[in-house]
Amino acid sequence: MAAHKFLDNALAELIDEHARLTLEDLARSCCMAPGWVTERLEAGLLQGEHSGGRWVFTSTSVVRARRLARLESTFDADPQLAGLTTDLIEEVNALRQRLQRLETQLGAAAAQD
Amino acid sequence: MEFKDYYKTLGVERDATADDIKKAFRKLARKYHPDVSKEPDAAARMAEVNEANTVLSDPEKRAAYDQLGRSAPHGAGQGFRPPPNWDAGFEFTGGPEGAQGMDSAQFSDFFEELFGRARHARHGGMGDGAHEGRTREQRGSDHHARIELDLQDAYHGAERTLSLRGARLDEQGHLVQEDRQLQVTIPKGVREGQLIRLAGQGSPGLGSAPAGDLFLEVQFKPDARWRAEGRDVYQSVPVAPWEGELGGPIHVTTPGGQTVEVTVPARWKSGRKLRLKERGIPAATPGDLYLELHVALPPATTEAQQRAWRDLARAYPSFNPRGTQGG
Repeated sequence: MAAHKFLDNALAELIDEHARLTLEDLARSCCMAPGWVTERLEAGLLQGEHSGGRWVFTSTSVVRARRLARLESTFDADPQLAGLTTDLIEEVNALRQRLQRLETQLGAAAAQD
Repeated sequence: MEFKDYYKTLGVERDATADDIKKAFRKLARKYHPDVSKEPDAAARMAEVNEANTVLSDPEKRAAYDQLGRSAPHGAGQGFRPPPNWDAGFEFTGGPEGAQGMDSAQFSDFFEELFGRARHARHGGMGDGAHEGRTREQRGSDHHARIELDLQDAYHGAERTLSLRGARLDEQGHLVQEDRQLQVTIPKGVREGQLIRLAGQGSPGLGSAPAGDLFLEVQFKPDARWRAEGRDVYQSVPVAPWEGELGGPIHVTTPGGQTVEVTVPARWKSGRKLRLKERGIPAATPGDLYLELHVALPPATTEAQQRAWRDLARAYPSFNPRGTQGG
């Protein structure tokens, strides 16, 4: 199998700024059917914004939806259980980031002494 | 190409039941789950486990794989090539992911050679596990990756070169793995956790359908000088004891690279913040920059400096920093 190397410049678009993701985009991003997203919205496991008669989603929703989908698929998890696990993972990640920042700051302060 | 022993990957016997395979997969998925695993190669191992499960949990794929395994020399390693028409008589109806909620983007050359090619040859491909039915027009699947940036990149934008592994169909309709480098212009204003979409940089579409997109999730490298919360930025600013107590103007270099003069209010209390409006991450509604001032003690290395500290101590005969601790 041949491997080709080339360089091109891709136009990067920030999601949330001017672009929002549709329900279909979100479903595709986590390899699920649109109905799966609708059910999780109704259950309060995913958050979206309803404007102009359609749902739009932010970056945070994509990361969360992919996590939920992976947990449900891998472990045959009940959606609420996958939601609870996702909440805990998000909280752990936030605390880890905070800890990392504090350790970095402490390290810098120690270096100044 | 390396022959992959999927049974070995999952740690099950060749006569394992569907239930054995499911249990083994879940056990390994828990071990290598990217959100919780402490293993250094967790992501790569999780991809291998996913791929093995995709084949062995699908009766059609497993049967075809078993037949191939019988004809392949065990431990074939590099240089393995499936014989022509190895999958004759097998009908693959599942999607490339095999399971919903699973990405196929990280599947190996071995998997793509067997099931990607078979899929394209037989059905004109399938999209993701969410859609049933057969079609010759199928949008390519999206890819997801993480990218680490400096906070300054959010102020000015950045150029990054990404190494990507993709695939395309050649003129005969065969799948060809393709390593490529992609130069990306990151627009300014990006926030942590935000997604950057690179349209058309995911998997190629089938027929005349468009390619999928590549989504990059942004993370900022930890930096002792500053941190971002949404569009607001918090900057740690050391001040001298006399600046904190007496107040006055100080010069601060912001993450945006500008040097600004701010006035420290006299009798500064630790924990208070100075807000510089709209000096956070740029956007239509920019964030704010919060300066967190903390006192830095100057070292007393020379005789004159030590004398100055002793004079300071004499000027505060009743000052006891441990007074609240009963010290």
